[in-house]
Amino acid sequence: MARVELKDLRKNFGAVEVIKGVDLTIEDGEFCVFVGPSGCGKSTLLRMISGLEEQSSGMIEIGGRDVSRAEPSERGIAMVFQNYALYPHLTVRENIGFGLSLARRPKSEIAEKVAAVAETLQLGAYLDRKPKALSGGQRQRVAIGRAIVRDPQVFLFDEPLSNLDAALRSQMRIELTELHERLGATMIYVTHDQVEAMTMADKIVVLNGGRIEQVGPPMELYQRPATPFVAGFIGSPKMNLYNGKVAEEMGCRTYGIRPEHLALSETEGRWPGTVRHVERLGADTIVHMDAPDLGPVIARTDGSRSFAQGSTVWVTPNPEFEFRY
Amino acid sequence: MKPRQILNGGLALSASLVIFVIPFLFVLINAMKSPQEASQPDFALPERWLFWENFVTTVQTRDYALLLAYWNSTVITVGAITLLVIFGAMVGYVVQRRPSTVTRIVYMVALSGLMIPPAVVPTIWLLQSVGLFKTLNGMILIQVAYGLGFTVLLYRSFIGTIPRELDEAAIIDGAKPWQVFFKVVLPLLKPVTLTVIVVQSISIFNDFTHPLYYLPGRDNVTVQLTLYNFQSQFASQMNLLFMNILLITIPPLIVFIFFNRQIVAGMTSGAVKG
Repeated sequence: MARVELKDLRKNFGAVEVIKGVDLTIEDGEFCVFVGPSGCGKSTLLRMISGLEEQSSGMIEIGGRDVSRAEPSERGIAMVFQNYALYPHLTVRENIGFGLSLARRPKSEIAEKVAAVAETLQLGAYLDRKPKALSGGQRQRVAIGRAIVRDPQVFLFDEPLSNLDAALRSQMRIELTELHERLGATMIYVTHDQVEAMTMADKIVVLNGGRIEQVGPPMELYQRPATPFVAGFIGSPKMNLYNGKVAEEMGCRTYGIRPEHLALSETEGRWPGTVRHVERLGADTIVHMDAPDLGPVIARTDGSRSFAQGSTVWVTPNPEFEFRY
Repeated sequence: MKPRQILNGGLALSASLVIFVIPFLFVLINAMKSPQEASQPDFALPERWLFWENFVTTVQTRDYALLLAYWNSTVITVGAITLLVIFGAMVGYVVQRRPSTVTRIVYMVALSGLMIPPAVVPTIWLLQSVGLFKTLNGMILIQVAYGLGFTVLLYRSFIGTIPRELDEAAIIDGAKPWQVFFKVVLPLLKPVTLTVIVVQSISIFNDFTHPLYYLPGRDNVTVQLTLYNFQSQFASQMNLLFMNILLITIPPLIVFIFFNRQIVAGMTSGAVKG
C-alpha cells in the first residue's frame, strides 16, 4: 500500500501552463477525489500520476519511491478510463488477464487470479463474452477488474461513472466505496460530479485553473470553504455569492449564503424579492428569485411549501452560516 | 413497390447489365469459337462449342507460359500485399498517434506517392544499379512503392477511429510499444486490412503496364502480359485471346466474391460506449 506525494508538479502544453505547481500528499489507503470545472487540469494531473503524461517539472512519489520518470507499468498503479477502454477483440477473461499475460505469468496463475477477480465483481457468468455483449455497468466492472488484477498500490479513476445512467451511477458509487473498504488501497478519483465527490471521498481536492484551491474532508469543504470559488463549487444548488454594495454593507468583498440557509417568508424578512421560477423536487422546493437589493437569489425550502410565480417573498439569512471573504 | 421505384430499379439493373454482364458474355462466347469464327468477334453463337480444345491450347501455348504467369503474378501479389499491410499499418499507426514535424513530413511523402506521377526510366536505372531489375523481388518492391501511399491513407484514417485510451490501457497493463501495436491495434484493423487486401491484390494481380516496363524477360511473364501470346502485328488468335482473358479474370473474381462479404466494419463497437 502506498502514500502518494506530489511536489511542485507543473505541466506545460507549449507555452500554456496547465498545472501551475501542485503540492499534495495522499495518505495510504485514502480515497481522494479531484474535482473542478472542466479544463481545470484534474485529468491532466491524474494522467501525470499514471505516467501517461510527463510532467514538465516537479516530483511524484508513490510509496516513498520517486517515480517521476518511471514507465506507467512500473509505478504500481492501475487506471480505469471514462470510456472503459476494453479491448474489443478479447473476451472478458482475456481483458482482465491481459496485463498478466504480457508479464508472461503462468497460465494457471492467470486463470486463478482472473477467477478471483470475477468472483469479487460478480462477472463469473460473462467471462467468455466480448465487451460489446455487455451492458455499460458490466463493462465498467470489467474495467475495474482489469485494474484489480494488477494488484496495484494506487487505483486511478478518470470519471469512471460519467457514461452510466443515474440509477446505475448511484449503485456503482456504493460498489466502489465498498471495494475501497475491502481492498484498503489508495484511490484517486477524478470527477466533475460533486455528488460523487461528497459521497465517496475521504479527502476532496478542489482544483481551479491548474492550482489547488482547497484540500479537505467533504464536510469541511462544505462547512468552511476557504475561497469564494470553493464556496460556489461545493454544494447544490450553488451558494449565492455577491460582490459590490451588498458585500460592502456586510463588511467584506464577497458575501455568500447557501440556499438552504435562507429562511423564506411571505410577510417579513431581510430582503424582498420576486419569485421567478419554482422547482419542486418532492422533498425540497427550490425557489429562484430576483431581489432588488441583491440580484438573483436561490433558496431551498421545505418540499411542502410553494410560491406563486411573480409573488413577493422575503428572504432572511441564518447568521450562523454566512460566509464573508 | 411504387411504379416509380420499379422503373428506377429496372433502369439501374439494365444499365449494370450493359456495363458488366454483356462484355463478360461477349468474352465467354468468343472464347469457345473456332479461329475462323472468332476472327471477326461478334455475338453470334459458335457452331461448335470448343471450350476444352481452346482451354488446353491456351494453357499449353509457349511451353505453359500461362501457368508460369499465374505463379509469377501470385508471388508478386502475395509478397507485395504482405509488405503493404505490415508497413502500411505501422506507418499509419505512428503517423496518426504521434503527430510531430517528422511524422507530418513522412505523411506528406507517403501522400506524394499518390500525386506525383512515377518516372519509369529513372526507376529502371535505379533498379539496375541495385541489381533488382528483371527480378520478382524488384517488381514486389515497385508494387509496394506504388501502393503504399493509398494504404497509409486508409490505415491512418481508420486508426483515427480507434480510441487512444485503448493504447493507454495497454501501456498501463505493461505493454511495450510494439506489443500495443501487434496485440491491441493490429487485431482491430481487420476490416480495413481486408479492404486493402481486396483492392490492392486485384490491382496488382491485374497490373499490365508496370510488369511491362520493369519486368521484361521470358521467365518473368505475368498474367496480363500473356495476352501478348495471342496477339501480334501479323497474326492474332482471337478465340485463344478471349479464353486467356477468361482464365486470368477468374482469380481476382474469386478474391472479390470471397472477401466482399467480410469487409464489414464494427470490430470496434463495444470499445467505447455505443
